[in-house]
Amino acid sequence: MVFKKPEKWRIFWRQFIVESDKLIISSILIVAVISVFLGGVLVIQTASNLENPVIDKMYIGYMVRESLILEFCSTMMALILAGKMGSNISSEIGSMRISEQIDAMDMMGVNSAGFLVLPKVIATTVLGPLLMLLSFSLGLLGGWIVVDLTQIIPTASYVTGIKYCYNGFYAFYSAFKMSLFCFMISSIAAFNGYYASGGSLGVGRSSTRSIVVTSILILMFDLIITQLWLY
Amino acid sequence: MIKVEHLNKSFDGVQVLKDINVVYEPGKCNMIIGASGSGKTVLLKNLIGLFKPDSGEICYGEQRLSTMDYASQKELRKNIGVLFQGSALFDFATVIENVMFPMEFFTDWSFAQRKERARYCLEKVNVIGSDDKYPNELSGGMQKRVGIARAIALNPSFLFCDEPNSGLDPYTSIVIDHLISDLTKEFNMTTIVNTHDMNSILEIGDKIGFIHNGSMLWQGDKNTILHPDCVQLKEFLCANTLARNIIEGKN
Repeated sequence: MVFKKPEKWRIFWRQFIVESDKLIISSILIVAVISVFLGGVLVIQTASNLENPVIDKMYIGYMVRESLILEFCSTMMALILAGKMGSNISSEIGSMRISEQIDAMDMMGVNSAGFLVLPKVIATTVLGPLLMLLSFSLGLLGGWIVVDLTQIIPTASYVTGIKYCYNGFYAFYSAFKMSLFCFMISSIAAFNGYYASGGSLGVGRSSTRSIVVTSILILMFDLIITQLWLY
Repeated sequence: MIKVEHLNKSFDGVQVLKDINVVYEPGKCNMIIGASGSGKTVLLKNLIGLFKPDSGEICYGEQRLSTMDYASQKELRKNIGVLFQGSALFDFATVIENVMFPMEFFTDWSFAQRKERARYCLEKVNVIGSDDKYPNELSGGMQKRVGIARAIALNPSFLFCDEPNSGLDPYTSIVIDHLISDLTKEFNMTTIVNTHDMNSILEIGDKIGFIHNGSMLWQGDKNTILHPDCVQLKEFLCANTLARNIIEGKN
């Protein structure tokens, strides 16, 4: 029922925009804050572990970039979004279930799953990679700010490092991961919310269950995809 | 007209509805009464297709609910209005958007036409000047009225109300009762009201069916209910002081 053709495309696109705003646009701030700090911390940690004078300082920038794009901007952001978006979706749909709003839609002949779930799943799956790109950019920026303020390494070395040996496939790989993780977050949360029962406690339980299940699945799929594509 | 024949429903081996036979006619307020847990809501949910009966038949006019495919059921549902116990107004939509919601899906009307129809329905239920409020900004009575406005938005032939007076004060209950009764007569709808409110039963009960332990033990109307020939119904009615005094012939 979720992936059935929408009854009216106009309603679907309107819901798509609403959900994009609610789930993706509203996540920009938390993604931005975390990414800037993450980039800064990564620079300091990498620098403190690479004090060998033989190794060029440029490699600190290089390693920060690779860590961000390969893992932090997709997997770590997805784990954070599993909490934020997952609980939002699960509790919203769950409370609609227990207050009979979903029954009311079904009784009208409206495909409630299609109306409530599909726009969320499509919005997060399609636009999730943009959050990854934002996170990557701001992570690099955070690293640059720390480098510039602390002069832990020369700024020029950091800039050279983040441009060194860039592999475009990594960006695609990370975007794909983020898209898949966002699909998992929205669909698992929506499923748990849609079948919530047992009053407000049931809604809380469904929300918690969706976050736990999604987080574990994200880590499992991260391992599988990494093994398949990068090794 | 809705016809129910030999309807049975059980959950986990417990039979909740036992051989229900009843006919609901258009232009009348058909009441389903009974104590809590007697099977009223289960019967109502079977009638509107939210539960599937174990056996028996539910016919909407000439159409049998059990043999309808998904598309026909969907078509039928456009012709059904439901007022849920908790109103079930959509939290994400304002009052006017709630009433316009079914029209958006099932009509090709322009926004202006939908809004005009929604305003007409809201006027019918006496909700004026609250178009842009959200459900949580409304009182319980107002929510019920908006729920009724949404239920009649597509001018349905069938209206189902699940305990429309629960949680309302006696005055608001009477207002809601009369609203349901007036709309039923005005639009010649087949209305089925699930209630255990004695005032409602005596005010608008054109046809009344009493359910006890899943069986429909008595059928009549508001004129005959106070002189019932059914022991269980008498016991049910005597829980209400006014009804008890009338039944027992006290002043």
